[in-house]
Amino acid sequence: MSMAVNGAVQTSVNGRGPPRSPASVYDLACKVMLLGDSGVGKTCFLIQFKDGAFLSGTFLATVGIDFRNKVVTVDGLKVNLQIWDTAGQERFRSVTHAYYRDAQALLLLYDITSKTSFDNIRAWLTEVHEFAHKDVVIMLLGNKCDMTGTRVIRTEDGESLAKEYGIPFMETSAKTGINVELAFTAVARELKQRYSQQDEPKFQIHQYIESQKKKSGCCGYL
Amino acid sequence: MASDVHENVERHPGLTPLSSTLCADPDNQRSESPAPALTQGNEPGAAQDEAMFVHAQSYEDLTGEVEVPLPQSPGPEGNVEISSMEQISEDFSKLSTQLSVSSVQSIEQNPEEDTEMGHEDAASSSSSPEGDGGSRVLDDWYQHQKHVFVLSEAGKPVYSRYRSEEALSSTAGVMMALVSFLESEKNAIRSIHAEAYKVVFVRRSPLVLVSVSHTQQSEQEISQQLLYVYYQIVSLVTGAQLHHLFQQRPSYDLRQLLSGSERITDKLLDSMDVDPSFLLGAVCCHPMIANLRDATTYCLQQAKAKSLVFSILMSNNHLVTLVRKKDQYLHPIDLHLLFNLVTSSSSFREGEAWTPVCLPKFNPSGFFHAHISYLSHKPELCLLMVSTDREDFFTASDCKRKIVERLEKKGTWTSLKEALRNPFYDVTQIGIPELRHFLYKSKSSGLLTSPAMVAPYDTDREKRRLVELYQYLHGRAHCSARPLTTIYHMGAHENILAWVTEAFELYVCFSPLGTKSSAVNGVSRLLRWIRKEEDRLFILSSPTY
Repeated sequence: MSMAVNGAVQTSVNGRGPPRSPASVYDLACKVMLLGDSGVGKTCFLIQFKDGAFLSGTFLATVGIDFRNKVVTVDGLKVNLQIWDTAGQERFRSVTHAYYRDAQALLLLYDITSKTSFDNIRAWLTEVHEFAHKDVVIMLLGNKCDMTGTRVIRTEDGESLAKEYGIPFMETSAKTGINVELAFTAVARELKQRYSQQDEPKFQIHQYIESQKKKSGCCGYL
Repeated sequence: MASDVHENVERHPGLTPLSSTLCADPDNQRSESPAPALTQGNEPGAAQDEAMFVHAQSYEDLTGEVEVPLPQSPGPEGNVEISSMEQISEDFSKLSTQLSVSSVQSIEQNPEEDTEMGHEDAASSSSSPEGDGGSRVLDDWYQHQKHVFVLSEAGKPVYSRYRSEEALSSTAGVMMALVSFLESEKNAIRSIHAEAYKVVFVRRSPLVLVSVSHTQQSEQEISQQLLYVYYQIVSLVTGAQLHHLFQQRPSYDLRQLLSGSERITDKLLDSMDVDPSFLLGAVCCHPMIANLRDATTYCLQQAKAKSLVFSILMSNNHLVTLVRKKDQYLHPIDLHLLFNLVTSSSSFREGEAWTPVCLPKFNPSGFFHAHISYLSHKPELCLLMVSTDREDFFTASDCKRKIVERLEKKGTWTSLKEALRNPFYDVTQIGIPELRHFLYKSKSSGLLTSPAMVAPYDTDREKRRLVELYQYLHGRAHCSARPLTTIYHMGAHENILAWVTEAFELYVCFSPLGTKSSAVNGVSRLLRWIRKEEDRLFILSSPTY
């Protein structure tokens, strides 16, 4: 597990160059990768988290992979999330694969209005198991949950798939922002916990998510 | 309305004033006089020691690959040539007075929008030919000036500029039938001319590229644009993969692999219609005082890594500086493709991107990996680093950090930002009253300089018309059947002049009130000015890491 501590001291398991980050001061750095088919909303998801804005209008395909930083505070500890936004298209697979094993967390997205993107999740998980680090934190996200009218994947479908693989799951919306922040903070908490390894009670990502997440149905909370 | 067309300086003593005034001082190298300009390597803008690009002697060099030999026998192009004086005069008056016929039509049909908008609109709506108004959409589809189609040899659509690939199948069938019919007779179809329409074919196995247009562009230039499209596709998937896929399965649907990249090819085609650097196969430099450019280059040179091949700074499609690995040369076409990639996607505007890219002229068989990041948005400054190693993102990212630090530490950053504010210079500072605009390309360095398009070329429509005039001049100057070295035309809206030598290409636009002798005089003064300013207008050195 490669983690950067205090922005300077870094341990790197695979001997690669350390990810030097911008001047921002942080206690812990970790890499999060967004994966999923083209068009499921990975870039929008990231922008909602980073800037609190929704990119509406035309579809902009990400080219290659895109690297950004955001510092979040978890229990007083500053965690620098280095986020890889990847292109969903097939022709970028090889470059994505090359960076899988650097990631400590993977957010795997599908689009609740697209059956293909959901069906492809299994293929994505196979790839993840092949290329990613074995301790990687994986989270399954059903994006675009604001689009109730055109939904084709039920929440239960997502839940049961996640259960099968033993990974946490929630539905999100990059448009309304529902559960976007939560996905990243849950990851940050889990990684912080792994890093500190102290006597404090073990952080349970599943329970944390269950207690925090907003059901997409209850619009009142938006 | 009068046109002077000179096929050859020797044969037309009438033109001697132009050449003799300019050839006054043949021995004085890099003097103020542009005299040595006529020998390649000494023209204004020529690199001092070594060129930064692959040596592209001429426009033909860029297009001329082993394939498709140019016809020696008079083809359709040849036929046109016979009546060339009248023809050229007529073509010019069309171009000078109006936009080409088709755009006028489209303006009439969309009176509330300008041409540019009309295009955009139709392009986006035609992506859904089904639903109500489908036929209207298709009508719009037919209105476009220049369609570009890419097909596989099996006749499967790969790309269509204005979409509707599905509706294309019958058209694609006809195109493929034409191509294969002639091929079965060991021949190749190059173009079909029907009234104002030109259908141009370019065959680059395993792809067939077809353009259907009604513009004034020559067949040769359209083929050049189609070639650019081919290179664009290669740069997305590599030539090796392209051949491999179709060898395995001739019926392969390439759209699958290219999905999401349509925008990049669209942008390329749109740029080629308005940006003369594609036409000239040259790279536009951002004008900047030499000291500042050197200081900036130095920052790039210092941030080196084993896997880095090129570090490039660009601003608004203009080259600011380029540092290369020793003995490695970039081709202008590859640089155009890199610029196009960067400008066609807003996904690069934030963060740091890392993407595989093939540079087809450098090596069509493999991918490089490009690190792309904007150092500044206003004024725009984008850093591109081309690496051989897919795994080297962090190394490249580290180089970027070093470059930024160094630029800031040395105080270069502030002056650089200041210099980037205006990508163009004003034509009035040259001090030639009739001069309105020009394009100058140094052949040995592959670099281009040109001032801002100011009034009356300050509207999209007029800009487009000026570029069309340049395209036409360029097409005439480089026509393989009958190349011309000098062209002078007096029109109602402007007088234009083209002068192509071994060493440079010059296209000048003068006010319509000027005379021929003032134009000749103006050209000579212009060349002197370019010589005087060359270290600001061009990148004369070719730095390596």
